[in-house]
Amino acid sequence: MRYHARFPGAAPGGVALRVEALPPSYEIETEGRVLAGNARRLGDGVWSLVTAEGRQAEVRIERTADGGMRVRIGAVTFEFDLLDELTARALLATGGRAVRRAKHVAAAMPGRVLRVLVAAGDAVTAGQPLVVLEAMKMENEVKSPQDGVISGIAVAAGQPVNAGEVLVRFAADPA
Amino acid sequence: MSAPRLLIANRGEIAVRIIRACRDLGVSPVAVYSEADRGSLHVRLADHAVAIGPPPARESYLVPEKLIAAARKTGATLVHPGFGFLSENAAFAQAVVDAGLTWVGPRPFSISAMGSKTESRQRMLAAGVPVVPGMTTPAASAAEIAAFGRENGFPLLLKAAAGGGGKGMRVVNAESEVAEAFARTQSEAKSYFADDRVYAELFVEHPRHIEVQILGDATGKVLAIGERECSLQRRHQKVMEECPSAAVSPELRAKMEAVAVAAGKAVDYVSAGTVEFLLAKDGRFFFLEMNTRIQVEHPVTEMVYGVDLVAEMIRIALGQPMSLVEKPALRGHAIECRVYAEDPGRAFAPSPGRITALRWPGGPGIRVDAGLTAGDVVPLDYDPMVAKITAWGVDRDEARRRMLRALAETRIQGIQTSVPFFVSLLHDPRVEKNDISTQFLDTYKYEPPAPEEGLRDLALSAAVLEALEQTKSVRPQTKGAVPAPWRTVRPTHGVR
Repeated sequence: MRYHARFPGAAPGGVALRVEALPPSYEIETEGRVLAGNARRLGDGVWSLVTAEGRQAEVRIERTADGGMRVRIGAVTFEFDLLDELTARALLATGGRAVRRAKHVAAAMPGRVLRVLVAAGDAVTAGQPLVVLEAMKMENEVKSPQDGVISGIAVAAGQPVNAGEVLVRFAADPA
Repeated sequence: MSAPRLLIANRGEIAVRIIRACRDLGVSPVAVYSEADRGSLHVRLADHAVAIGPPPARESYLVPEKLIAAARKTGATLVHPGFGFLSENAAFAQAVVDAGLTWVGPRPFSISAMGSKTESRQRMLAAGVPVVPGMTTPAASAAEIAAFGRENGFPLLLKAAAGGGGKGMRVVNAESEVAEAFARTQSEAKSYFADDRVYAELFVEHPRHIEVQILGDATGKVLAIGERECSLQRRHQKVMEECPSAAVSPELRAKMEAVAVAAGKAVDYVSAGTVEFLLAKDGRFFFLEMNTRIQVEHPVTEMVYGVDLVAEMIRIALGQPMSLVEKPALRGHAIECRVYAEDPGRAFAPSPGRITALRWPGGPGIRVDAGLTAGDVVPLDYDPMVAKITAWGVDRDEARRRMLRALAETRIQGIQTSVPFFVSLLHDPRVEKNDISTQFLDTYKYEPPAPEEGLRDLALSAAVLEALEQTKSVRPQTKGAVPAPWRTVRPTHGVR
């Protein structure tokens, strides 16, 4: 089984990983090396790895809201997309662009819409605040993940929203 | 005679803390809960529990009638308000007393005298307590604030007269900013405290926030029990506290303690309270405000001075003198980290949700005050602080290393927390040298702890193994078939 790990900002192809042997005694070939050791799954997304060199780490894995991997070891966090081979190839074919473009921005957490800062037809830049949400006594700006043109606003000020609910839509990529 | 019952008009970790003090004293704890908290730890640890309404605090934890009715229903004779919610609401304290119940805290008079910032300043001035130059009455207009700024200089700090907890405050750097800042502070004050009165004071630059713990009892005795260093604040909210402050010499400590006792005596203070000071770089200190309740950060004082402040509050409320004859000796150093359900990697966005796995630290010198256990949901409706980790050591360096050990042992899965933030913060050379002020975190740029050599390989290995595991559970492999590809769901809300 092959996977490709794609770190933010890195080349579209990412790091290739091929599973050669399954746990408990795992072997994963990558970048001309073999990562090997003993793996035990302690719970959902929780692993203890003891490498062939004797290094031990407790590793916790979660999915991010957009389907990526968030891997935590102690206080250190890694975030990357882990793609199977088919998806990775499709991504390479499009130069990583088409699939990476967001069609909309959704609420990352439940809350209440305080203010909508953009309107349909507005051109926005990456990082520009779009909507202000209130959650846990705090105001939180929801920012644009990319440059683009807003095609529609799905919410109104005062409205409660659930996690994952669409707030703002982007017009189709002009490129 | 059966044990007296004490109703805790609060939730979360402070409710759990008060339950523990009750148990230690042989008092029976009574919990209250909103619909969001039916399964919360504080309910499960109590002897009695009463439902007080829907999740929004203004329909549950902030409704005096429901709390008093809950005390009546369960035969509770004491009411402890904790912190936040109605803890500094003199009208509630008075309503409790009028209902024939005992308020575990200062007299309603002391709360109201200290609750209005303008009134408390006047009282402190009269008692000879140094205060920051500021308006003695709320501002009627932006022009009044501009005039004050011209007379005393900028920057100014605008504050809600009924405020607290860092809400409703704004720095004004120049006269041109006054009009807008005044309007915004007024509107915030109105929405947070239902009181739009605002006043201005001089903004002391790069000060430390040092506070002195006091304890008074019905005999008129008021003791000061050392100071806490609370300069590390984000959005005017404390995140990490220490006892003692490395910036306070024994001479300065004695001076601040004497002033704090004078402040307490000026309002006939009974129970635990905190006198907050701004400490300027030149060693001058100014009265900021008094918190007429137990503080979030009380554990650092408890660990260094060997006292149980919450138990003392209950003892004093029961009409007994405090158990302390004099101020206990200072021993060692303690640091507290407030664990917030916030994602430091995403601008501290709230991160509510279900705790899927949880492991607290342990071992020598570590204390955990938590309001939740594995499987619990951190509700969206309340403050995001879910726990406090406190580390004690013989000196600051040992306390710091123990805290780093404790943070490394801590595992909270299912939500993001401020734990990685504290690891970075405690490694910052300025924090290590205690070269900080209340403005430190305004410019501090959080860099996630850097991975050491080899960690990335471990992360990749585990991620691949987990992906395989999920493939197996989603689509059982049939013999000889090509393994089903595990697909990443493609972006639903944009590029990270």
